Amino acid sequence: MGTVAGAQQILAGLKQAGIDLIASVPDINMLQLINLLYEDNTITHIPVGREEEGIGVCSGAHLGGKRPAMLMQNGGLLNSCNALTTTALQFGMPILLLIYYAGDIGDNAFHMVGLVTEPVLQGLGIKYVVMRDPMKVKQDIAGAVTLANSSKRPVALLLTRAVL
Amino acid sequence: MKRFECLQAIAPLIQDELFVTTAGGATAEWNAVRPSDGNIQVKTLGLCSSIGLGVALALPKRKVFVFDGDGALWMNLGSLATIGLHQPKNLIHICWDNQQYESSGGEPTVATAGRIDFAAIARDAGIKSSVTAATVDELKAAVSHVLRQDGPHFIWARIEAGRAEAPPLKYDELENKYRFVRYIEDTEGINILRVAMPASYLQK
Repeated sequence: MGTVAGAQQILAGLKQAGIDLIASVPDINMLQLINLLYEDNTITHIPVGREEEGIGVCSGAHLGGKRPAMLMQNGGLLNSCNALTTTALQFGMPILLLIYYAGDIGDNAFHMVGLVTEPVLQGLGIKYVVMRDPMKVKQDIAGAVTLANSSKRPVALLLTRAVL
Repeated sequence: MKRFECLQAIAPLIQDELFVTTAGGATAEWNAVRPSDGNIQVKTLGLCSSIGLGVALALPKRKVFVFDGDGALWMNLGSLATIGLHQPKNLIHICWDNQQYESSGGEPTVATAGRIDFAAIARDAGIKSSVTAATVDELKAAVSHVLRQDGPHFIWARIEAGRAEAPPLKYDELENKYRFVRYIEDTEGINILRVAMPASYLQK
C-alpha cells in the first residue's frame, strides 16, 4: 500500500520538479500516492485503462504545454513499449515514468516482470534510477525531470517499497 | 463516400483547430487538403485518440480533432472509455471507417463483418455527442455541429475504401513535432520548449 508520508514526499518532489499532469494505472503499492492524486487540485490526474494510452495522453499533453508523468507498475511498462518507442522516443517526448518495481529483491510476486524490467529499459534506451533511499527521493525526481526535459526523452524512476 | 471528398468538404469550415491524425491514409490526404503546422502525424497505430486526448486536456479552450481509422480504433478501443470518463469538451474524434487495414494491404478489420457500431460504442462509453455519417452532406453537417457545440464528440464516418493521390508528408515526425509545438506557442502565447541556461551561467 505504501505509506502516507512516502506518498506525500513523492508528490511534493513531483510538484517541485514542475510535473503538472499525471496519467495513471494503479498498483497496490502506490495506493497512497494515487489517493493523494485524486485529492490534489494542482496536478491534473488522468486515470487511463491501459498504460499505452497513458503514454499517448502524456505525449499529447506535452505537445500542449504540460509537464507530464506516467504512473504505473512495471507490467505496464511492458504494455507500453510500442508507444514508448514509436511515439515517445521517435518524436522526442519528455515524459517522467514513475514505475513501481514489482518483482524486485525482497518482493514476493511478479518475479518475471522484475527480471526483465531493467533490461527492457536498457533496450529501449531509457535512462533510469532505482529509488531505494527515502532521503534521496526529491533529488532523484528533480534529476530525472531535468534529464527528460534536456534530452527530450522519457526518463524512468523505479519506485521500490523503501520509498513508498 | 470517399474520405478525400469528405476532407475537401470540411476543410473550408476549419480555422485554427488542431489535428492529430492516425498512422494511415487520412494523414497524407488531410495534409494535402489542409497543409498546416496545426496538424501532427501519429506513428503508433491506435494511439491518435490518446494523443489527441492529451492535447485536448492540456489546451481546454482549443478544439482538437482526432482522425482515426477502424483498424486503429480497434487497437485502442479502450480510449473511448477513457474519453468518456474525462469528458474533454474540446475533443472531436472522427473514425474514418473503410472496413479494412488499407495501409497494410487491405486485410479485414473488426468492421469488415458489418456487425460493429462504433457510434453506439462511443455513446455507451459516455460520449453523448456521437453520430454516424454516410454521405458527404451528413459529414459536413456533423462537423458544422461539433464546431459550434461542446463535446466530447464522436463521428463514425462510413467511407468507401480507396486512397487519393496525395504527396508524401513534407516533414518527418521530429520536424512536424517542433513546428506543431511552435505553432501552439505562437497561437496560444505560451512557452513550451525551453532551453536550459548553461551551467556556467547558473553558477555565477
